[in-house]
Amino acid sequence: MNRRPDLVADVAEVLLTEEQIQAKVVELGTRISSDYAGSELTLVSVLKGSLPFMADLMRSIAIPVQIDLMEVSSYGGTATESSGLVRILKDLSSSIDGRHVLIVEDIIDTGLTLNYLMRYLRGKNPASLRICTLLDKPARRLVEIPIDYLGFEIPDRFVIGYGLDYGERYRNLRFVGVLRPEVYTSPE
Amino acid sequence: MTAARPRPAFAHASEAELARILDFYEVAWEYEPHTFPILYDRDGAVLESFSPDFYLPDLDLYIELTTLKQRLVRKKNRKLRRLRDLYPGLRIKLLYARDFRALLLKYGRITLADAFSGAEGQATPPRPRPGTYADAGHATARGAPVARTSAATSGGAADLPAPSASRARRARRSRAEARARAAARATAVASTEMTA
Repeated sequence: MNRRPDLVADVAEVLLTEEQIQAKVVELGTRISSDYAGSELTLVSVLKGSLPFMADLMRSIAIPVQIDLMEVSSYGGTATESSGLVRILKDLSSSIDGRHVLIVEDIIDTGLTLNYLMRYLRGKNPASLRICTLLDKPARRLVEIPIDYLGFEIPDRFVIGYGLDYGERYRNLRFVGVLRPEVYTSPE
Repeated sequence: MTAARPRPAFAHASEAELARILDFYEVAWEYEPHTFPILYDRDGAVLESFSPDFYLPDLDLYIELTTLKQRLVRKKNRKLRRLRDLYPGLRIKLLYARDFRALLLKYGRITLADAFSGAEGQATPPRPRPGTYADAGHATARGAPVARTSAATSGGAADLPAPSASRARRARRSRAEARARAAARATAVASTEMTA
């Protein structure tokens, strides 16, 4: 990307303010704490986009939890094109056999990645496997995924911030915003 | 990894790209495995059919992909409505050009989007002639379903067939649809006369 990103000018509109996000995170944390009270819960975050959400959500949960991180390759990444198949770039550090697992996602759109992850994690025999996502963009869905904990349903627009990126930029914004189309349509 | 199988002759480069995406995420697919009659004449002969581009057997979902500009998709939308009316249990998703563009953007392949738009992306090889349509009202296999391949080719050039075959295919479709429209008009006229 030759164009120099501008964290302010490149945002067409703020979709979710920091305050709205934090209020929702607390609400989700409270629900999760109640639903999993007395259980052994592992939060599995999918890198990199869900890092801020994971960090805030785990601190809003009032029961003991373990956390783990996973990273899977994305279609179009140069490192993966030789195999043409999705790869686990970072696997779980601990066993989830017999544990209740909650996948923490930043956004679900096509559902392709999550569909793959669900199949992969089910093979590790968790006691239960559920999904928590901050954002859902149902207009893009190809694979139907049951969402157990949902923050916001958002319209079909290209969003950045609070972990979401375009070309690895904009993840550090404290809000979720809509990226100006000129940013991704301008010549590279 | 399983051995690579021959890829089907995709009608459009965008279809080949979608197949690569599905392969990448290990979603099983079949290419145009079923044809659904959607218009009949008064004798029950099939006048118009619809073959969704992809069938995802594990998800029981059909996907139709179009890279036509939004203002040109009216005919496709009409066919889809007819399909849903006749086969209410069928799960089908229509991916418009804007949807596919967004998908490419998500995967950092936006530069490919223009190459996949409309006629630029047309890439039809000589394809096996469709099988015969079976009884009215039933989905009919167009020959054996094409199995997914596990080894996707990169780039897409290998999936790009000669454009002349594409024009021939469009011409065949156009002639068939013109015949269907004419027959429908004739049927409508006949019905009006009978009512009168």
